[in-house]
Amino acid sequence: MARVLLSLWSCLLGLFLVTLVQSSGLPMSNASTVRPATADSTGLRTLQARYKTVAKQLTQLMPTQPYILVDTARNHLYIKRQDQVMLDALASTGSGTILDKPGDAKGQWIFDTPRGEFAVQTRLVNPVWVKPDWAFIEEGLEVPKSQADRLEPGVLGEYALGFGKGYFIHGTLYTRLLGKNVTHGCIRLNDDDLKSVYRLARVGTPILIF
Amino acid sequence: MTLFSAIFVMFLSLAPVSWAAEPEMMPSLDMTNPAALQEATRVLEEEIKLAARPQTYVLIDLAANVIVIKGRGVELHRISIERWSASHLVQLTSQYRLNERPAVNRRKIDPAAGAEQDPISLADMPTAFALQFSPPFVVQVLSHPDNPWQWTLQRGGTWWRRLRSWGSFLWTEDKSSLPSLDLTVSVDQAQSLAWTVTENMPFLIRRPTMP
Repeated sequence: MARVLLSLWSCLLGLFLVTLVQSSGLPMSNASTVRPATADSTGLRTLQARYKTVAKQLTQLMPTQPYILVDTARNHLYIKRQDQVMLDALASTGSGTILDKPGDAKGQWIFDTPRGEFAVQTRLVNPVWVKPDWAFIEEGLEVPKSQADRLEPGVLGEYALGFGKGYFIHGTLYTRLLGKNVTHGCIRLNDDDLKSVYRLARVGTPILIF
Repeated sequence: MTLFSAIFVMFLSLAPVSWAAEPEMMPSLDMTNPAALQEATRVLEEEIKLAARPQTYVLIDLAANVIVIKGRGVELHRISIERWSASHLVQLTSQYRLNERPAVNRRKIDPAAGAEQDPISLADMPTAFALQFSPPFVVQVLSHPDNPWQWTLQRGGTWWRRLRSWGSFLWTEDKSSLPSLDLTVSVDQAQSLAWTVTENMPFLIRRPTMP
Protein backbone atom coordinates (compact mmCIF):
# COMPACT_ATOMS: atom_id res chain seq x y z
CA MET A 1 0.00 0.00 0.00
CA ALA A 2 2.81 2.35 0.99
CA ARG A 3 4.57 1.56 -2.28
CA VAL A 4 1.49 2.43 -4.30
CA LEU A 5 1.07 5.70 -2.41
CA LEU A 6 4.76 6.49 -2.92
CA SER A 7 4.48 5.81 -6.67
CA LEU A 8 1.35 7.96 -6.89
CA TRP A 9 3.06 10.74 -4.95
CA SER A 10 6.09 10.58 -7.28
CA CYS A 11 3.84 10.79 -10.33
CA LEU A 12 1.97 13.79 -8.95
CA LEU A 13 5.22 15.52 -8.04
CA GLY A 14 6.54 14.84 -11.54
CA LEU A 15 3.38 16.25 -13.13
CA PHE A 16 3.58 19.31 -10.89
CA LEU A 17 7.19 19.97 -11.82
CA VAL A 18 6.54 19.59 -15.54
CA THR A 19 3.49 21.87 -15.29
CA LEU A 20 5.63 24.40 -13.45
CA VAL A 21 8.23 24.35 -16.20
CA GLN A 22 5.50 24.65 -18.84
CA SER A 23 3.70 27.52 -17.17
CA SER A 24 6.96 29.41 -16.84
CA GLY A 25 7.12 29.45 -20.63
CA LEU A 26 10.31 27.44 -20.69
CA PRO A 27 10.79 24.89 -23.41
CA MET A 28 10.12 21.33 -22.17
CA SER A 29 12.55 19.36 -24.20
CA ASN A 30 15.97 18.41 -22.93
CA ALA A 31 17.22 19.24 -26.39
CA SER A 32 15.22 22.41 -26.74
CA THR A 33 17.99 24.69 -27.88
CA VAL A 34 20.81 24.49 -30.33
CA ARG A 35 24.12 24.38 -28.50
CA PRO A 36 26.33 27.42 -29.00
CA ALA A 37 29.11 27.16 -31.51
CA THR A 38 32.39 28.73 -30.63
CA ALA A 39 33.92 31.26 -32.98
CA ASP A 40 36.73 33.73 -32.72
CA SER A 41 36.22 37.31 -33.88
CA THR A 42 37.22 36.46 -37.47
CA GLY A 43 34.86 33.52 -37.49
CA LEU A 44 32.08 35.68 -36.07
CA ARG A 45 32.63 38.32 -38.75
CA THR A 46 32.48 35.61 -41.42
CA LEU A 47 29.20 34.33 -39.98
CA GLN A 48 27.79 37.86 -39.82
CA ALA A 49 28.81 38.55 -43.41
CA ARG A 50 27.25 35.28 -44.58
CA TYR A 51 24.01 36.06 -42.74
CA LYS A 52 23.83 39.55 -44.29
CA THR A 53 24.48 38.18 -47.78
CA VAL A 54 21.73 35.57 -47.46
CA ALA A 55 19.31 38.09 -45.92
CA LYS A 56 19.96 40.41 -48.86
CA GLN A 57 19.31 37.59 -51.34
CA LEU A 58 15.93 37.00 -49.71
CA THR A 59 15.13 40.72 -49.80
CA GLN A 60 15.79 40.70 -53.54
CA LEU A 61 13.00 38.14 -54.01
CA MET A 62 10.42 40.45 -52.42
CA PRO A 63 8.14 42.38 -54.80
CA THR A 64 9.39 45.88 -55.46
CA GLN A 65 6.23 46.98 -57.26
CA PRO A 66 2.75 47.09 -55.65
CA TYR A 67 1.27 43.69 -54.87
CA ILE A 68 -2.17 42.48 -53.81
CA LEU A 69 -2.59 40.71 -50.49
CA VAL A 70 -5.84 38.92 -49.62
CA ASP A 71 -6.73 37.73 -46.12
CA THR A 72 -9.54 35.23 -46.72
CA ALA A 73 -10.18 34.62 -43.01
CA ARG A 74 -10.89 38.28 -42.24
CA ASN A 75 -12.09 39.17 -45.76
CA HIS A 76 -9.74 42.04 -46.49
CA LEU A 77 -7.84 42.90 -49.64
CA TYR A 78 -4.77 45.09 -49.37
CA ILE A 79 -2.57 46.69 -51.95
CA LYS A 80 0.91 47.05 -50.53
CA ARG A 81 4.16 48.41 -51.76
CA GLN A 82 6.96 47.10 -49.55
CA ASP A 83 5.72 47.96 -46.03
CA GLN A 84 3.32 50.69 -47.16
CA VAL A 85 -0.40 49.87 -47.31
CA MET A 86 -1.81 51.70 -50.36
CA LEU A 87 -5.34 50.31 -50.03
CA ASP A 88 -7.24 48.39 -47.35
CA ALA A 89 -10.56 47.16 -48.74
CA LEU A 90 -13.33 45.05 -47.24
CA ALA A 91 -13.90 42.03 -49.49
CA SER A 92 -15.92 38.86 -49.79
CA THR A 93 -14.11 35.58 -50.40
CA GLY A 94 -14.97 31.88 -50.78
CA SER A 95 -17.74 30.35 -48.67
CA GLY A 96 -16.09 26.94 -48.29
CA THR A 97 -19.39 25.21 -48.99
CA ILE A 98 -19.63 22.18 -51.27
CA LEU A 99 -21.95 21.19 -54.10
CA ASP A 100 -22.23 17.69 -55.54
CA LYS A 101 -21.70 17.27 -59.28
CA PRO A 102 -24.77 15.57 -60.69
CA GLY A 103 -24.06 12.20 -62.29
CA ASP A 104 -20.63 11.99 -60.66
CA ALA A 105 -20.77 10.04 -57.39
CA LYS A 106 -17.44 11.31 -56.11
CA GLY A 107 -17.27 14.69 -57.84
CA GLN A 108 -18.03 17.94 -56.06
CA TRP A 109 -17.24 21.62 -56.23
CA ILE A 110 -15.59 23.22 -53.19
CA PHE A 111 -16.16 26.96 -53.10
CA ASP A 112 -12.85 28.07 -51.59
CA THR A 113 -10.77 31.03 -52.64
CA PRO A 114 -7.47 29.44 -53.67
CA ARG A 115 -4.52 30.14 -51.34
CA GLY A 116 -0.97 30.81 -52.44
CA GLU A 117 0.75 33.14 -54.88
CA PHE A 118 -0.87 34.13 -58.16
CA ALA A 119 -0.52 36.98 -60.64
CA VAL A 120 -2.97 39.24 -62.46
CA GLN A 121 -3.47 37.61 -65.86
CA THR A 122 -6.25 39.70 -67.36
CA ARG A 123 -7.70 43.19 -66.81
CA LEU A 124 -11.25 43.47 -68.10
CA VAL A 125 -13.56 46.48 -68.41
CA ASN A 126 -17.32 45.90 -68.18
CA PRO A 127 -16.89 42.15 -67.83
CA VAL A 128 -19.70 39.76 -68.67
CA TRP A 129 -20.14 36.75 -66.43
CA VAL A 130 -20.14 33.46 -68.31
CA LYS A 131 -22.11 31.39 -65.81
CA PRO A 132 -20.42 28.05 -65.14
CA ASP A 133 -22.34 24.77 -64.64
CA TRP A 134 -22.42 25.06 -60.84
CA ALA A 135 -24.27 28.39 -61.01
CA PHE A 136 -27.22 26.63 -62.67
CA ILE A 137 -27.06 23.43 -60.63
CA GLU A 138 -26.92 25.39 -57.37
CA GLU A 139 -30.21 27.07 -58.30
CA GLY A 140 -31.78 23.78 -59.32
CA LEU A 141 -31.80 24.79 -63.00
CA GLU A 142 -30.82 22.84 -66.05
CA VAL A 143 -27.40 23.60 -67.52
CA PRO A 144 -28.01 25.35 -70.89
CA LYS A 145 -26.56 23.92 -74.08
CA SER A 146 -26.10 27.29 -75.73
CA GLN A 147 -23.20 29.50 -74.64
CA ALA A 148 -25.39 32.58 -75.17
CA ASP A 149 -27.67 31.40 -72.37
CA ARG A 150 -24.77 31.52 -69.94
CA LEU A 151 -23.96 35.21 -70.43
CA GLU A 152 -24.93 37.57 -67.65
CA PRO A 153 -23.76 41.18 -68.03
CA GLY A 154 -23.70 43.76 -65.24
CA VAL A 155 -23.23 41.51 -62.21
CA LEU A 156 -19.43 41.68 -61.93
CA GLY A 157 -19.12 45.46 -61.71
CA GLU A 158 -17.14 47.73 -64.00
CA TYR A 159 -13.86 45.82 -63.87
CA ALA A 160 -12.52 42.31 -63.35
CA LEU A 161 -8.98 41.10 -62.77
CA GLY A 162 -8.47 37.45 -63.64
CA PHE A 163 -5.85 35.42 -61.79
CA GLY A 164 -6.33 31.99 -63.36
CA LYS A 165 -8.65 28.96 -63.41
CA GLY A 166 -11.74 31.17 -63.68
CA TYR A 167 -11.04 33.17 -60.50
CA PHE A 168 -11.46 36.96 -60.60
CA ILE A 169 -11.32 40.01 -58.41
CA HIS A 170 -14.56 41.77 -59.37
CA GLY A 171 -17.41 43.98 -58.16
CA THR A 172 -20.69 42.96 -56.60
CA LEU A 173 -24.36 43.88 -56.40
CA TYR A 174 -24.41 42.52 -52.83
CA THR A 175 -22.29 45.09 -51.01
CA ARG A 176 -24.03 44.28 -47.70
CA LEU A 177 -22.24 40.90 -47.79
CA LEU A 178 -18.76 42.42 -47.99
CA GLY A 179 -16.68 41.21 -45.05
CA LYS A 180 -18.24 37.75 -45.23
CA ASN A 181 -17.25 34.44 -46.81
CA VAL A 182 -20.02 34.14 -49.36
CA THR A 183 -18.48 33.74 -52.82
CA HIS A 184 -17.76 30.72 -54.98
CA GLY A 185 -14.04 31.47 -54.82
CA CYS A 186 -13.80 34.88 -56.49
CA ILE A 187 -12.91 38.01 -54.53
CA ARG A 188 -15.60 40.70 -54.47
CA LEU A 189 -15.06 44.40 -53.75
CA ASN A 190 -17.22 47.51 -53.76
CA ASP A 191 -17.10 49.78 -56.82
CA ASP A 192 -14.65 52.36 -55.45
CA ASP A 193 -12.15 49.80 -54.16
CA LEU A 194 -12.43 47.81 -57.38
CA LYS A 195 -11.58 50.94 -59.37
CA SER A 196 -8.50 51.57 -57.19
CA VAL A 197 -7.33 47.97 -57.59
CA TYR A 198 -7.86 48.14 -61.35
CA ARG A 199 -5.80 51.35 -61.56
CA LEU A 200 -2.94 50.08 -59.41
CA ALA A 201 -2.66 46.54 -60.74
CA ARG A 202 -0.99 45.55 -64.00
CA VAL A 203 -0.82 42.23 -65.77
CA GLY A 204 1.80 40.36 -63.72
CA THR A 205 1.07 42.09 -60.42
CA PRO A 206 1.55 39.42 -57.71
CA ILE A 207 -1.51 38.34 -55.69
CA LEU A 208 -0.70 36.69 -52.37
CA ILE A 209 -3.70 34.93 -50.83
CA PHE A 210 -3.77 33.30 -47.39
CA MET B 1 35.20 71.88 -52.42
CA THR B 2 37.73 69.04 -52.67
CA LEU B 3 38.29 69.24 -48.93
CA PHE B 4 34.54 69.11 -48.36
CA SER B 5 34.24 66.05 -50.62
CA ALA B 6 37.14 64.36 -48.85
CA ILE B 7 35.54 64.98 -45.45
CA PHE B 8 32.19 63.73 -46.75
CA VAL B 9 33.75 60.52 -48.14
CA MET B 10 35.65 60.02 -44.87
CA PHE B 11 32.42 60.52 -42.93
CA LEU B 12 30.65 57.96 -45.09
CA SER B 13 33.40 55.41 -44.69
CA LEU B 14 33.35 55.81 -40.90
CA ALA B 15 29.58 55.63 -40.61
CA PRO B 16 28.20 52.45 -39.04
CA VAL B 17 27.44 49.73 -41.55
CA SER B 18 23.87 49.58 -40.27
CA TRP B 19 23.20 52.96 -41.87
CA ALA B 20 23.15 51.26 -45.21
CA ALA B 21 19.91 49.64 -46.32
CA GLU B 22 20.70 46.46 -44.47
CA PRO B 23 18.08 43.75 -44.44
CA GLU B 24 16.70 42.93 -41.01
CA MET B 25 15.04 39.59 -41.61
CA MET B 26 15.15 38.35 -38.02
CA PRO B 27 14.86 41.23 -35.55
CA SER B 28 15.35 38.96 -32.52
CA LEU B 29 18.72 37.75 -33.79
CA ASP B 30 21.75 38.19 -31.54
CA MET B 31 24.45 39.11 -34.06
CA THR B 32 27.21 38.22 -31.56
CA ASN B 33 26.00 34.65 -31.03
CA PRO B 34 27.67 32.32 -33.58
CA ALA B 35 25.12 29.52 -33.11
CA ALA B 36 22.21 31.94 -33.53
CA LEU B 37 23.82 33.33 -36.69
CA GLN B 38 24.36 29.85 -38.10
CA GLU B 39 20.77 28.87 -37.38
CA ALA B 40 19.35 32.11 -38.84
CA THR B 41 21.49 31.71 -41.95
CA ARG B 42 20.39 28.09 -42.37
CA VAL B 43 16.73 29.13 -42.14
CA LEU B 44 17.22 32.02 -44.59
CA GLU B 45 18.93 29.71 -47.08
CA GLU B 46 15.96 27.35 -46.91
CA GLU B 47 13.58 30.28 -47.15
CA ILE B 48 15.24 31.57 -50.31
CA LYS B 49 14.42 28.25 -52.00
CA LEU B 50 10.77 28.60 -50.97
CA ALA B 51 10.46 32.31 -51.73
CA ALA B 52 11.81 31.81 -55.24
CA ARG B 53 8.65 29.88 -56.17
CA PRO B 54 5.07 31.16 -56.37
CA GLN B 55 3.72 29.78 -53.11
CA THR B 56 3.02 30.66 -49.51
CA TYR B 57 4.90 28.96 -46.68
CA VAL B 58 5.11 28.95 -42.91
CA LEU B 59 8.05 29.75 -40.65
CA ILE B 60 7.71 28.50 -37.08
CA ASP B 61 10.18 30.76 -35.32
CA LEU B 62 10.82 29.23 -31.89
CA ALA B 63 13.51 31.81 -31.16
CA ALA B 64 11.03 34.68 -31.52
CA ASN B 65 7.95 32.68 -30.41
CA VAL B 66 5.96 33.40 -33.56
CA ILE B 67 4.49 31.56 -36.51
CA VAL B 68 4.81 33.63 -39.67
CA ILE B 69 2.87 32.99 -42.87
CA LYS B 70 5.04 34.19 -45.76
CA GLY B 71 5.18 34.46 -49.51
CA ARG B 72 8.15 35.71 -51.57
CA GLY B 73 9.91 36.54 -48.30
CA VAL B 74 7.09 38.93 -47.36
CA GLU B 75 5.36 38.50 -44.01
CA LEU B 76 1.64 37.98 -44.66
CA HIS B 77 0.36 37.11 -41.22
CA ARG B 78 1.81 36.58 -37.75
CA ILE B 79 0.63 34.30 -34.96
CA SER B 80 2.08 34.53 -31.44
CA ILE B 81 3.17 31.36 -29.68
CA GLU B 82 2.35 31.37 -25.97
CA ARG B 83 4.31 28.24 -25.14
CA TRP B 84 6.05 25.45 -26.93
CA SER B 85 7.81 22.21 -26.24
CA ALA B 86 9.64 19.89 -28.59
CA SER B 87 11.26 16.52 -28.91
CA HIS B 88 14.19 15.82 -31.23
CA LEU B 89 14.58 19.54 -31.84
CA VAL B 90 18.11 19.05 -33.15
CA GLN B 91 16.71 17.08 -36.09
CA LEU B 92 14.28 19.80 -37.21
CA THR B 93 16.36 21.16 -40.05
CA SER B 94 14.35 20.10 -43.11
CA GLN B 95 11.62 21.68 -45.16
CA TYR B 96 8.44 19.92 -44.08
CA ARG B 97 5.40 19.51 -46.34
CA LEU B 98 1.99 19.40 -44.69
CA ASN B 99 0.19 16.14 -45.51
CA GLU B 100 -3.33 17.54 -45.12
CA ARG B 101 -5.02 20.56 -43.60
CA PRO B 102 -7.10 20.19 -40.42
CA ALA B 103 -10.55 18.78 -41.06
CA VAL B 104 -13.47 21.19 -41.12
CA ASN B 105 -17.16 20.44 -41.31
CA ARG B 106 -18.20 21.99 -44.64
CA ARG B 107 -21.87 22.66 -45.32
CA LYS B 108 -23.30 21.03 -48.43
CA ILE B 109 -25.53 23.03 -50.76
CA ASP B 110 -28.83 21.32 -51.44
CA PRO B 111 -30.36 22.81 -54.64
CA ALA B 112 -33.70 21.13 -53.89
CA ALA B 113 -33.98 22.81 -50.49
CA GLY B 114 -33.55 26.26 -52.01
CA ALA B 115 -32.24 27.70 -48.74
CA GLU B 116 -28.69 29.08 -48.75
CA GLN B 117 -26.17 27.23 -46.62
CA ASP B 118 -24.15 29.08 -44.01
CA PRO B 119 -20.58 29.60 -45.19
CA ILE B 120 -17.68 28.34 -43.11
CA SER B 121 -15.90 30.95 -41.06
CA LEU B 122 -12.98 31.16 -38.67
CA ALA B 123 -15.32 30.10 -35.84
CA ASP B 124 -15.80 26.71 -37.55
CA MET B 125 -12.08 25.96 -37.43
CA PRO B 126 -10.71 23.59 -34.80
CA THR B 127 -9.01 25.03 -31.71
CA ALA B 128 -6.74 22.03 -31.22
CA PHE B 129 -5.36 19.87 -34.00
CA ALA B 130 -2.35 17.91 -35.20
CA LEU B 131 -0.43 18.72 -38.35
CA GLN B 132 1.39 15.77 -39.92
CA PHE B 133 4.29 16.34 -42.27
CA SER B 134 6.61 14.68 -44.74
CA PRO B 135 9.35 13.92 -43.82
CA PRO B 136 7.71 12.54 -40.67
CA PHE B 137 7.15 15.26 -38.07
CA VAL B 138 4.13 16.24 -36.01
CA VAL B 139 3.01 19.66 -34.80
CA GLN B 140 0.34 19.57 -32.11
CA VAL B 141 -1.49 22.90 -31.89
CA LEU B 142 -3.22 23.61 -28.58
CA SER B 143 -5.16 26.58 -27.27
CA HIS B 144 -6.99 27.68 -24.13
CA PRO B 145 -10.65 27.04 -24.87
CA ASP B 146 -13.24 28.64 -22.59
CA ASN B 147 -14.93 25.29 -22.18
CA PRO B 148 -13.22 23.46 -19.27
CA TRP B 149 -14.16 20.08 -20.75
CA GLN B 150 -12.36 20.89 -24.02
CA TRP B 151 -9.38 22.19 -22.06
CA THR B 152 -9.23 18.98 -20.02
CA LEU B 153 -9.43 16.85 -23.17
CA GLN B 154 -6.64 18.83 -24.82
CA ARG B 155 -4.36 18.65 -21.79
CA GLY B 156 -5.19 14.99 -21.25
CA GLY B 157 -4.21 14.24 -24.84
CA THR B 158 -0.92 16.07 -24.43
CA TRP B 159 -0.09 14.28 -21.18
CA TRP B 160 -1.01 10.93 -22.66
CA ARG B 161 1.29 11.46 -25.64
CA ARG B 162 4.12 12.53 -23.34
CA LEU B 163 3.67 9.62 -20.99
CA ARG B 164 3.65 7.21 -23.91
CA SER B 165 6.79 8.78 -25.30
CA TRP B 166 8.59 8.68 -21.92
CA GLY B 167 7.35 5.15 -21.33
CA SER B 168 8.62 3.86 -24.64
CA PHE B 169 11.95 5.60 -24.06
CA LEU B 170 12.40 4.30 -20.50
CA TRP B 171 11.22 0.74 -21.00
CA THR B 172 12.19 -0.06 -24.53
CA GLU B 173 14.89 2.58 -25.00
CA ASP B 174 13.25 3.25 -28.33
CA LYS B 175 14.80 6.44 -29.62
CA SER B 176 13.15 6.24 -33.00
CA SER B 177 10.00 8.22 -32.09
CA LEU B 178 9.01 11.06 -34.43
CA PRO B 179 10.20 14.61 -33.96
CA SER B 180 7.31 16.59 -32.55
CA LEU B 181 6.43 20.09 -31.54
CA ASP B 182 3.63 21.20 -29.20
CA LEU B 183 2.53 24.79 -29.76
CA THR B 184 0.13 26.61 -27.45
CA VAL B 185 -1.54 29.65 -29.02
CA SER B 186 -4.73 31.60 -28.34
CA VAL B 187 -8.05 30.15 -29.54
CA ASP B 188 -8.34 32.77 -32.32
CA GLN B 189 -4.80 32.16 -33.46
CA ALA B 190 -5.26 28.38 -33.52
CA GLN B 191 -8.34 28.83 -35.72
CA SER B 192 -6.49 31.31 -37.89
CA LEU B 193 -3.64 28.82 -38.40
CA ALA B 194 -6.08 25.99 -39.20
CA TRP B 195 -7.72 28.27 -41.77
CA THR B 196 -4.48 29.33 -43.40
CA VAL B 197 -2.59 26.09 -43.88
CA THR B 198 -3.13 24.09 -47.04
CA GLU B 199 -2.18 20.65 -48.24
CA ASN B 200 1.46 20.35 -49.28
CA MET B 201 2.32 23.74 -47.75
CA PRO B 202 6.02 23.98 -46.83
CA PHE B 203 7.04 24.65 -43.22
CA LEU B 204 10.40 25.71 -41.79
CA ILE B 205 11.50 25.68 -38.17
CA ARG B 206 13.91 28.19 -36.66
CA ARG B 207 15.32 26.69 -33.48
CA PRO B 208 16.38 28.75 -30.48
CA THR B 209 20.03 28.85 -29.49
CA MET B 210 21.73 29.20 -26.16
CA PRO B 211 23.01 32.69 -25.43
